[in-house]
Amino acid sequence: MAGKEATVYIVDCGRTMGESGEGRTQSNLGWALDYVWDKITSTVATGRKTTLAGVVGLRTDGTENDMADEAEYQHITVFQDLSQILMPQLRKLRNELVVSSTDAGDAISALVVAVQMIAKTCKKLQYARNIVLVTDARAPMDASDLSDITAKINEDNIELLILGVDFNDPEYGVKEQEKEDIKQENEDVFRSLCDDCKNATFGTLVQAIDELGIPRTKNTRPVHSYKGHLTLGNPEEYETALSINVERYPKIMQAKPPTASKFVMRGDMSASQVTQPSSATLSNGNGAGDEGLAAVKNARTYQVEDENAPGGKKEVESDELSKGYEYGRTAVHISESDRNVTTYETTPSLDIIGFVDKSKYERYLEMDRSCLIIASRNDDQASMALSALIHALFELDSYAVARLVAKENSQPRILLLAPNIEPDFECLYDTELPFAEDIRSYKFPPLDRVVTVSGKTLKVHRNLPNDELQYAMSEYVDRMDLSTFGKDDEGNETEYAPMDETYSPMLHRINQVIKHRAIHPNTDPPEPYEILTRYSQPPAELVKQSQRSLDRVIKAADVKRVPPKARGKRFGRKGREEKPLSDLDVGALLASDPKRKTKRIDPKNAIPEFKQVFSSAADIEAIQDACKQLKNITFDWIRHSVGDSGYGKAVEAIRVMREELVDFEEPGIFNDFLKELKGKILKEELSGDRKDMWLQLRRSKVTLIHNKEVDESQFTEDEAKAFMVPK
Amino acid sequence: MAEQSNYGRGPDEEEEEEEDIDESGYKSSKDAVLFAIDVSKSMLTRPESSDSRNPDAALCPTVAALKCAYALMQQRIISNPNDMMGILLFGTEKSKFQEGDEETGRGGLQYPHCYLLTDLDVPAAADVKHLRNMVEDEEEASELLQASDEEVSMANVLFCANQIFTTKAPNFSSRRLFLVTDNDYPHASNRDARNSAAVRAKDLYDLGVTIELFPISHPDRGYTFDRSKFYNDIVYSATPADPDAPAPLSADIKPANASAKDGISLLQALLSSVASRAAPQRALFSNIPFEIGPGLKIGIKGFILIKRQAPKRTKYVYLPPDSAKAQLAVLNTTMLAEDTARSVEKEEVRKAYKFGGETVSFNEEEMGKIRNFGDPVLRMIGFKPMSQLPLWANLKHNTFVYPSEEDYVGSTRVFSALHQKLLKSEKFGLAWFIPRRNAVPILAAVYPGAEERNEEGEQVMPPGLWVKPLPFADDIREPPETNPIKAPDEVIDKMRVIVQQLQLPKAVYDPHKYPNPTLQWFYKILQALALEEDLPEKAEDKTVPRHRQIHKRAGQYVVDFGQTLDEHFRKWQKDSGRDVHPTANGGAKRSKPTANGVAKKVKQEDGDDDGPTEEDMRSAYEKDALSKFTVANLKSFLQSKGMSATGKKADLVDAVTRFFETKMEVD
Repeated sequence: MAGKEATVYIVDCGRTMGESGEGRTQSNLGWALDYVWDKITSTVATGRKTTLAGVVGLRTDGTENDMADEAEYQHITVFQDLSQILMPQLRKLRNELVVSSTDAGDAISALVVAVQMIAKTCKKLQYARNIVLVTDARAPMDASDLSDITAKINEDNIELLILGVDFNDPEYGVKEQEKEDIKQENEDVFRSLCDDCKNATFGTLVQAIDELGIPRTKNTRPVHSYKGHLTLGNPEEYETALSINVERYPKIMQAKPPTASKFVMRGDMSASQVTQPSSATLSNGNGAGDEGLAAVKNARTYQVEDENAPGGKKEVESDELSKGYEYGRTAVHISESDRNVTTYETTPSLDIIGFVDKSKYERYLEMDRSCLIIASRNDDQASMALSALIHALFELDSYAVARLVAKENSQPRILLLAPNIEPDFECLYDTELPFAEDIRSYKFPPLDRVVTVSGKTLKVHRNLPNDELQYAMSEYVDRMDLSTFGKDDEGNETEYAPMDETYSPMLHRINQVIKHRAIHPNTDPPEPYEILTRYSQPPAELVKQSQRSLDRVIKAADVKRVPPKARGKRFGRKGREEKPLSDLDVGALLASDPKRKTKRIDPKNAIPEFKQVFSSAADIEAIQDACKQLKNITFDWIRHSVGDSGYGKAVEAIRVMREELVDFEEPGIFNDFLKELKGKILKEELSGDRKDMWLQLRRSKVTLIHNKEVDESQFTEDEAKAFMVPK
Repeated sequence: MAEQSNYGRGPDEEEEEEEDIDESGYKSSKDAVLFAIDVSKSMLTRPESSDSRNPDAALCPTVAALKCAYALMQQRIISNPNDMMGILLFGTEKSKFQEGDEETGRGGLQYPHCYLLTDLDVPAAADVKHLRNMVEDEEEASELLQASDEEVSMANVLFCANQIFTTKAPNFSSRRLFLVTDNDYPHASNRDARNSAAVRAKDLYDLGVTIELFPISHPDRGYTFDRSKFYNDIVYSATPADPDAPAPLSADIKPANASAKDGISLLQALLSSVASRAAPQRALFSNIPFEIGPGLKIGIKGFILIKRQAPKRTKYVYLPPDSAKAQLAVLNTTMLAEDTARSVEKEEVRKAYKFGGETVSFNEEEMGKIRNFGDPVLRMIGFKPMSQLPLWANLKHNTFVYPSEEDYVGSTRVFSALHQKLLKSEKFGLAWFIPRRNAVPILAAVYPGAEERNEEGEQVMPPGLWVKPLPFADDIREPPETNPIKAPDEVIDKMRVIVQQLQLPKAVYDPHKYPNPTLQWFYKILQALALEEDLPEKAEDKTVPRHRQIHKRAGQYVVDFGQTLDEHFRKWQKDSGRDVHPTANGGAKRSKPTANGVAKKVKQEDGDDDGPTEEDMRSAYEKDALSKFTVANLKSFLQSKGMSATGKKADLVDAVTRFFETKMEVD
């Protein structure tokens, strides 16, 4: 929920924070900042003007705060007043939060400063107020006025979090070796301070750092997508109709990772700079030393076909255009006044069509993100009526099917309504069902039997599992059971990887690296949090337990990988050609066809005849000859093409030639051809400007044959791609 | 480089996720279908025992085939707007064929008795109109539908088709020739002619064109089409040279009968036969490894069998000043740098994230690493019972997965074993799923779907596994606060009766019975506009519940339920001391015993004031005095009707007026 928030971070920068505790290589301050930066950058990422943050340095070399005149407030620096944090502030803070050379500075005084900052900014307004103090608690503190401070914190409703470097926490299993007395004392003071506050947490830093690895999910205020009646029958027409006031809210709404915008180097940058990969934090303004990026925008132009214009197309201004639709290849203009005729008029409703059996319902019919339907709030009778429907459906193992029109003139949808009953919550979950037009009738052979071309039904076939494979698979599936493999907080068996403990890998990964880069512009992005990839593999322990069953499946399955090279064709494939259903020897017919004996490829039947030469070729000369012929045919097509009329044919011929030569592992012939073609196009030797032909070729992803496809090729994949740039 | 795009889009949409782009690429793999319809004497003979009540049954096979093509053309304009279609008649007295420039005018001589009725292209309104005239106007049809006395050369027919595909659809990924004939043995006495046809068929095969045969039998004349005489030399199977290979399912389709003995007309049989092959099977992803356990990989392909079909977006059209024929304007998008307005090449573009008022960027290599969660794979993590897959766990449409032997021999048997086990034990697999290189990884439920066949034994849903993308914790929303009141058992019992009374046929939802009303209406209008016809008056909407039936079958039980609910609700109010709103004004439930058919008004949002009732509004409307109400009154009334309530007072009055106007018509 997007309420207003104000948080002050107090960061201990004292000399001792420069040490590295408990065998860590990182300094204590660096470690503490991992936590603080994560919190602050999360705030920045929200982009909210009403989420404020402030930063106070404790035990700093200098002093800068509203009470700087008083002795107790020395070595406390307000680095950042409460405000929205943007990149410039982040950069500034990055330079300021460093280890000082002093031990002096009172944490309790810093708390007072923070309380004051909040009071000054938030006044009596509706803010969620927070103070976070991160310290190693190794400096003397004056704990005499603690009760006043507690009272003020409670009065202002401030939530306090004190995190200590290596504070003892038996619950989390942390106990510092060789703790100084003063630290122990201070820890006790902090602990009792937190106990006295209404809303305070005392914790050890390692726990907070560990928890950073568990992503937080955003809470969004529910917004209804339908509010109206759930009807059974038509109340306008029949007195026997039923109507219940309901509201519909999203249950599932995909959280998308932030999207990158397009930028380009500023025009005044030199070419050498352009090619340099940037890994810096970039500023749009005159950021110090940062590279300049300019946003990319799209310019739109419209063209229509015009026989008289050069190139057969002419540009039209957007104000010359009006709205319309495409019917087949016919443009249908719809005048302004007719604009609404295509709208199917509907009125909002949620109307039950009938009921279906849960056991006969197929889950693959579900089309869209699920929503939930509850009775209108404040309407007790609706609540009771809906409850009756929910319970009736539940008891009968049934679902309802209903027609929803969410808003006036919006498209009707068919929903499946399923009952959900929890101790304190009842609702109907809904999910959209397909219409007739949404189903594509693809057909696939049965999986439990084989019907052959000759019409027999087989139960034993290489495509069907034998009993051993079936048995082994069954055992393996049962052993790999996740329904009780997880452990809950009490250590009881529970479901492994339930949905509310899985996190969107890309969303949190992108957020993680953006936040990291904002603070550490010159370091490589960190590894992803463990939890983001935890479910990319089956749990190792379970695999170990099931290994014997798996081995049995593998043995019975006898799956063989088809080696990638096996596809390679060589000469002498005569007689091994594809045959029609009847097994007729077409190869022989082809060979005896008088027109084809000459091996002259007929331009009108170029592709089939080219392929046929390849499949019957006895030597490399035949191949070379066929390629040469197809090359000349292709050049002719391009040369005689009116506009782009012949390009499609040419692209297809080139694609086929490439495919065959890859199979034949003769990259040279094709690559030479493509070079020749490019030369001719660039030099306009194929009767005029044929650049569009090259563009079509490039769009069809035709490149030089590269060495990933055929070893003998002298081009790498990147070179092959780069070659397609027309210059 | 200019990026071509078909539609005008908002400025933000270029930042779309790669996911979406991939799927649109999948849709744009295009299909071209050429109908080749035999026009022989026997194809032009009407069946003898025709049923006068069913005019479709009296059609001769050629006209039935044309009608079928007409239906497919209309349907494909809706479902596959970029796909091509053409119609070639063969065996006609007349000849017509357009070729490339070289042969202008001589085409007819080259392919005698081939008549290209509709050239292979994305259909235009004129094509639809022409074809409709053919099937609806017998005179026009009879002029063209004259069988030639001379036998047409099948080799020529096939080569003619070859030329049409070569010139019109050179690089379509799917090209199919739908051959409709009742002659199972052309060139019966000429072996050479049959051999030439076989050679031309091989040419088509090498060109990448698939021949789909629609054979017609004539049981009334004791004639059954025999594929083995000739057509098995022409048609190629996907898996050759193995008599034990699984038959392609299309072979299931029986030869259509020209006489309607069994009540199914030839047209219906053809339509369903064509419909089952209308959509070329396009894989969403091919040959990604399916890792059932560490060290056990098989090959699979993914297909989208169910996906929301949306009405088309509007496009910009250009009306040339000198003609009434609208032209489609093609959008060209060029990227410009905002500072200097110079055009930007795709290679120069770099991506950066907005953060804290500035941008954070990564170079391409870093970005690649960040986005890389491994190679494409569908990897099983383990298995759970279906009961742990709650109904709300759905993000979007599910993907169908079927085994492929291309990369791993033996994939099918392993897949089959898993499929059968999951079906039997009612389990699903939890899987880590990366469908394409650098695609966003997701967790998915992999669950089995059984094969379904209809009464005629035709497959309506194939067997296979389904992949359901699961929501992450980030995607699950909290419900709003509620104070549910559990209904007492007596009330639930009354509701149970209602639910039992109103089961859908066979207690299942059959999508085929519910066409999308919006889509149907949209295309009806669009077709009428394109063909310059009168606009249809009212749309048929099969999704509207059958209120009369509901009234008849459950009406009494609903009244019963209403009374019981009222009783128990009053009792509950008393017991809980929550006698808040009297039901007289805005009861939740309207199983109203009131007369006069006017629905009771809906409760005001906050119940804060006594806004005008619907009766008040109506009488004001009748007296043309709506403007006496305040803006707030009008707004709340409109909102209660779910209508948009924006604009000035005059707009609101108009909206209320419109509401009553349409309502009157309904009454």
